[in-house]
Amino acid sequence: MIKAAIVGCGKMADQHVAQLRRIPDAAIVGVCDVEPIMAKQLHERGAAGAWFTAVGDMIRATRPDVVHVTTPPQSHFELGTLVLNSGCHAYIEKPFTLTAAEAEELVALATRVGRHVTPGHNALFTHAMVEMRRLVATGFLGGPPTHVESMYCYELGADPYASAVLGDGAHWVRRLPGSLLQNIISHGVSRIAEYLADDRPIVKAHGFTSPALRASGERGLIDEARVIIADRAGTTTAYFTFSTSMKPVPHQLRLYGPKRSLLVDDDHQIVIRLENHEYKSYYRYFIPPLGFAGQHLKNLARNVARFARNDFHMPFDAGLKRLIEAFYRTISTGAPPPIPYRDVLLTARIMDDIFAQIAETPQDAASAPALPSCTEMRAVSRMPARCLRT
Amino acid sequence: MNSDGNRPEQDTARLASADETLLITGASGFVGRRVVTALLSRGYRRLRCLTRHNRTPAGLQAALEPFPNANVEVLAGNLLDPAYCRRAARGVAVVYHLAAGIDKTFPGCILNSVVTTRNLLDAIVNDGGVRRFVNVSSFAVYSNERIRWGGVLDESCMVDTKVADRHDPYAYGKARQDDVVEEYGRGRGLPFVIVRPGIVIGPGKARIPGRVGIDTFGVFLHLGGGSRMPFTYVDNCADAIALAGLIPGIDGEVFNIVDDDLPRSREYLREYKRRVRRIASIPVPYSAFMAFSYLWEKYSKYSEGQLPPVFNRRICEIYFKGHRYSNAKAKTLLGWTPRVTMREGLERTFAASRQTGRDS
Repeated sequence: MIKAAIVGCGKMADQHVAQLRRIPDAAIVGVCDVEPIMAKQLHERGAAGAWFTAVGDMIRATRPDVVHVTTPPQSHFELGTLVLNSGCHAYIEKPFTLTAAEAEELVALATRVGRHVTPGHNALFTHAMVEMRRLVATGFLGGPPTHVESMYCYELGADPYASAVLGDGAHWVRRLPGSLLQNIISHGVSRIAEYLADDRPIVKAHGFTSPALRASGERGLIDEARVIIADRAGTTTAYFTFSTSMKPVPHQLRLYGPKRSLLVDDDHQIVIRLENHEYKSYYRYFIPPLGFAGQHLKNLARNVARFARNDFHMPFDAGLKRLIEAFYRTISTGAPPPIPYRDVLLTARIMDDIFAQIAETPQDAASAPALPSCTEMRAVSRMPARCLRT
Repeated sequence: MNSDGNRPEQDTARLASADETLLITGASGFVGRRVVTALLSRGYRRLRCLTRHNRTPAGLQAALEPFPNANVEVLAGNLLDPAYCRRAARGVAVVYHLAAGIDKTFPGCILNSVVTTRNLLDAIVNDGGVRRFVNVSSFAVYSNERIRWGGVLDESCMVDTKVADRHDPYAYGKARQDDVVEEYGRGRGLPFVIVRPGIVIGPGKARIPGRVGIDTFGVFLHLGGGSRMPFTYVDNCADAIALAGLIPGIDGEVFNIVDDDLPRSREYLREYKRRVRRIASIPVPYSAFMAFSYLWEKYSKYSEGQLPPVFNRRICEIYFKGHRYSNAKAKTLLGWTPRVTMREGLERTFAASRQTGRDS
């Protein structure tokens, strides 16, 4: 039995409690928030154990095996350090830390004290992502991906979280080094990091404020990002897109391999195999659509079967449960961490680069999208020039 | 007459004079801006309006326009910030607390209804000059478990102690907010009044209230057609809230606010279809919805929340038990009467909804 405690009793904590309840070998022993009202409400609504307002008190009183840190990111490093130094394992919600330097320090500390730490990149563990990883492991792509496209977008309109950020000039999200981007994009960037061979890839980022946000009078918030990432060895390149202006709001990953490719549509939990068959003449217009129809039907059947087995849940909740279970296995059996530390650090470095470059973008340029020059793009991707022409 | 042509209330004793500062939180909200109008119309000239928005929202701006000589301070900020609360509470005589957390999650509602209220109360108690804190709550906090079918729901009814079981974050937040206010009343001597409006209708609320039924999969499931709807027209509601801050001798009281001549759910829906737009609706009988709620509740538990328990037997009873509602206490102690009749209120609401439909 793993004894779990939670620090930070906001919305994420609710999701952790819901998934921890589904894990038979886990028990919540305490919840903690500096705001007693928040700690008490989570406890009152069914989180077992006791409630606290100081993490140290909670750890001393409940002796948890693992502490889930679900506070705003500004406190992740400090709390992660405290938790690890107290002899507990740490599950730290995304974004893992504010900077890559903090991430490196936290991972080093975990290694030094013989404890495990994981960031809450649960989007890596949705049903579709797990299926995609299985296919990649079978060699479906025919080698390492040549190119990865990760789209991780967001709808600002209807979400209460977004209204809170937009309506409050002092909201904690705005005080992050990467502001709104930092609180969201780690999910999308971590999907790329998994497939990059290089620990110090080239990153070219461009950020700007969307026309819709500008029209609402918002000036300081960057809500659009286009990023090119490339291995220095030229093995794998990637595009990352964050946007609040696309409908439907896409959360997709495309892996282009040397032989075949894969498309993951996380919004609908669909995985599509892009085969490399050549069909003669007009057959190419008739046979592949049939194949795609068949694949969509299989995806439907898989999702329905999971739902019928009570194993679907909302994809991010399912991903959260899967990540927690895998992390707990690491704790109890010494299995490899569900997210390798190398990927954790690489994600943090790429994010640092993105925020630094966007911060350097002059305000005028930030308000109107401008693509890097063709020469820049060629240098970055090391692709043949013909690939970049449109 | 004052400079805006409005006569200050001098007929009866009031807790605050026209020159004292009144604080309104949630002042740009649907009800909040009408409370601002209600107070300005009564001749109160010094208002401090709190809003989350950096710019004065159009609705509040429109509410202020007829009173160019009023001294209205609009303070933008977040009640989660104690320094902002201190600034807001400084030197005020009466506080109208309408700001609330509208969120789909429990923590969101708690944070934005309860923590904010506690911060504001801390600032008020420390400032020391407040003579009345009007806490605007909701009908949603009541439990109807012990009220018989068709029985009267009034201020003497039990507040729901198991409100989390209803899976209604808003009601949970409001119930805890009331608890905090009462705690400050008992422990820190806060003079307070709680106002619990029913369902507030009026131009700006274009959708059919959730108490009428559920709009899903392209068809409207009409629930509890025979039940009376606890409506209050927004201007009437604002009047009651305004009075709750001004009438002396009512500290610690709770007031339910509903208008007279409440329509039944089926009457409302019929009028809506006639006056706003045609919609397909299916009347769902109690036994069918109760069975559905029961099964949904069981499945939710069995599937470990694969479907959240949004439909449950507690909610079902709220739709169907056909209560009557009393506004006698508000009429007696506040001297309130709904100045807009239900017929007129519904007409105005439908007209605005029809316009909204055309605009969209």
